[in-house]
Amino acid sequence: MAGGGGGGDGEPEFQIAPMIDVLLVLLVFFVMITSAEVLKVDKNIVLPVSPNAKAREPEMAKHEMAVNVRFDAKSNKGILVVDDREYNNWPDVVPILQESHKRDDKLRIVVRGDAAVPAGEIQRIMNLIGEAGIADIAFASSNK
Amino acid sequence: MKRNRRHRRKANAEVNLGFQIAPMIDVVFVILLFFIVQASDIQVENAHVTKLPGTVELKEGIVTPDEIAVRIEDDGQVYLNDDPLDTPEAKLLPEFASNLNQLRESSDASKSEVLVTIYANDLARYERVVDVLDALSRAKISNVSFQAGSSE
Repeated sequence: MAGGGGGGDGEPEFQIAPMIDVLLVLLVFFVMITSAEVLKVDKNIVLPVSPNAKAREPEMAKHEMAVNVRFDAKSNKGILVVDDREYNNWPDVVPILQESHKRDDKLRIVVRGDAAVPAGEIQRIMNLIGEAGIADIAFASSNK
Repeated sequence: MKRNRRHRRKANAEVNLGFQIAPMIDVVFVILLFFIVQASDIQVENAHVTKLPGTVELKEGIVTPDEIAVRIEDDGQVYLNDDPLDTPEAKLLPEFASNLNQLRESSDASKSEVLVTIYANDLARYERVVDVLDALSRAKISNVSFQAGSSE
């Protein structure tokens, strides 16, 4: 009972192997949570804060497609970015959405709009999503 | 002499090649500290899930819901059925949320559903729309639809 092994004389001894085990487990834990969450956030977009929004459903993750609406302060308009490509003519995105919807019936469009974007711009992209025949949408927000 | 030197060199090499636990722990601690600090600053992305109007399949015998119109003006003022509630600066919209909660409770009591339609002005900030969605989540109302233009 003398303090977890070590010398036979009853003196507790510092065990290096279990400490390394614990350290590595902690390290893996923190690496996992940082890489899982940080990658989802586009740094060009400041998401609106909404503490009561629901956490993203893990089972829906593979059915989600992000539509980013960045804010252009000069023109007070939104910049549409889908799959890292900017669209000047917004209706061009409709066939892409339709194509994705054909591939996946359960497709959910996650609208990631900047907090400063005018609501009319979000309405515009919602109309285009509706035109593509997709009903399931989600508005991304940040917890803080 | 030669044999002695060779032996000493061999002994030194054996000592240097040994696995050093202390520097490894140092490095692991530094990496761990880095990730702990980074983890505290993590932004988690959540979402308000909804359905677009006009595309949802209707089931037969559906109860006609009590419709509530929410208007958001350009300055951020929120109107609930034409009644202004809270100030444009109030992010949490406490009055609005408590009114919605009461409406939802009375609808629950009469076994009907609440449907909220949001009329956001074109120049209202999207952030304000999300504030309204947040207040709706707090009031446990999930039946939300959007409308372009004014409610009148």
